[in-house]
Amino acid sequence: MLIYLPIAELPVNMFLIFGMGAAVGFLSGLFGVGGGFLLTPLLIFSGIPPAVAVASTTAQVVASSFSAALSYWRRRLIDFKLAGVLVVAGVIGSSIGVTIFTLLRRSGQLDLIISVCYVTFLGLVGGLMLTESLRAIIDAKRGRPAPLRRPGQHGWMHRLPFKMRFKRSRLYVSVVPILVIGAGIGILGSLLGIGGGFILVPALIYILRVPTSVVVGTSLIQMIGTMAVATLLQAANNHSVDGVLALILMVGGVIGAQFGARLGARLGGELLRAMLALLVLAVGIRFLVNLVTTPDELFSLATLAGDAR
Amino acid sequence: MRARACATIAAAFVLAACLAVPARAERLVVAASTDHVRISSSFTGTSLAVFGAIEPDTGSVDRALYEVVVVVRGPDETLVTRRKDRVAGIWLNRAARTFADMPSFYAVSASRPLSEIADAATLRRYEIGLTHLDFGPADRGDDSPEEAAFRAAFVRLKEDAGLYRETPFGVTFPGTAVFQSNIELPANVPVGSYRVSVFLFRDGAMLTTNGADFSIAKSGFEQFTFTLAKTNGIVYGLICVALALLTGWLAGVLFRRD
Repeated sequence: MLIYLPIAELPVNMFLIFGMGAAVGFLSGLFGVGGGFLLTPLLIFSGIPPAVAVASTTAQVVASSFSAALSYWRRRLIDFKLAGVLVVAGVIGSSIGVTIFTLLRRSGQLDLIISVCYVTFLGLVGGLMLTESLRAIIDAKRGRPAPLRRPGQHGWMHRLPFKMRFKRSRLYVSVVPILVIGAGIGILGSLLGIGGGFILVPALIYILRVPTSVVVGTSLIQMIGTMAVATLLQAANNHSVDGVLALILMVGGVIGAQFGARLGARLGGELLRAMLALLVLAVGIRFLVNLVTTPDELFSLATLAGDAR
Repeated sequence: MRARACATIAAAFVLAACLAVPARAERLVVAASTDHVRISSSFTGTSLAVFGAIEPDTGSVDRALYEVVVVVRGPDETLVTRRKDRVAGIWLNRAARTFADMPSFYAVSASRPLSEIADAATLRRYEIGLTHLDFGPADRGDDSPEEAAFRAAFVRLKEDAGLYRETPFGVTFPGTAVFQSNIELPANVPVGSYRVSVFLFRDGAMLTTNGADFSIAKSGFEQFTFTLAKTNGIVYGLICVALALLTGWLAGVLFRRD
């Protein structure tokens, strides 16, 4: 069934978009990531203008993160204090990100920056996660116990000022790295139309040593806050949020996310991380291939504001 | 069915109109099947019928056939055409040309291939045909391969998007002095005011021209959403966020199993 999108100004197959939303929602519930890093490229590939795809996915991430977060909240797997600090930093970051987004659109280099960012961050994060989780899985198979978490081991981070105690995560760390991580995710999130969960989750685990049990729920809260503000800013600055597109994606996404979250609760954390790492790497490689192979069409059209035509 | 009824009425109307008026030179009467195209949520493109009647010059002894060209132009827009080049192994946008005031939609239908109707200079004067579009003062007369490549790419991309079209034999003559042409308006057709121009040719000379206007606009919900998003982005954004939170919460409640 075709439905006309008022902002994207073209008709799309409603069930196709719904299916994409549901599939990505399932993965987002499973891994505790927003799924934007899959959805944005999928939408662009199916002919939605990149600016509309990025901005509408932002709204979709809010919905799917919120529904997934409810399930973590009921199981008390959220550190609200840590999430609060991350949201504040994330909101600042996403304001910067939306400004950069607007400037890049005008210069015609938005697609390039999006691709380069995807390749860099997905490659780095995916590679790091994969080696780490594979090692853990192999260790577990050989019967070696996983290394115990020793709260004192933070090295240089321990010497940073403005320390804060996060009871739920059993952490006593400086807010500086938390703010830096939150703001960085905010910039990337609004720039790339992604929640940034696939970067935030490993960053919280490896840099801040947040326990894996609360990391997903906490990162979901950060994504809701940051992406809600990013949606507002995209709507106000770039007028590129398509409400109809976002709604179809949301409904598909939240339904998929429910099933994903349930399956995720049953699978082991290490296995989940290895699977997510493979997915992240695959998307990164796809973008790299696009950047280096000779395109079929060298020319492209855009308005002065940067909307693809 | 409705389109056919429209066609019959319009054809009858133009016939009556031209029979009623005595004339010396050739005259053209032109009508379009609608003057307002509405885009609703189920819009997947539509077709516009253009009708007309030729009132021959009574004093003329020239028996050569009339040729008719129908041009439909959408609202003007300024577009940037960019070309990718390989830099350090990566393909990125480098050179760019800005073409101002180009038609966002351009469809030309003719009773024969354009090259058989008139010479290039004549066609260029009236901007008839994809190869005769006016690319603005900056590009006029500059036919270096570099500039030509950008202009050709612009037209090709527009053609690929279904927004530029050239149809030889797209104009038919149901009667000796009555012509008809169907113009397909694709689903991605830009909104705004459109101009239908009809040109009458004989022996390679443009005898007369006439036109009709119509508009394409979003209707109802689509119009409301679009206007709100453009004029009141923050309110629209707030609605989108509220919608997202509501959808997420609803799903969380509906699917709750614990």
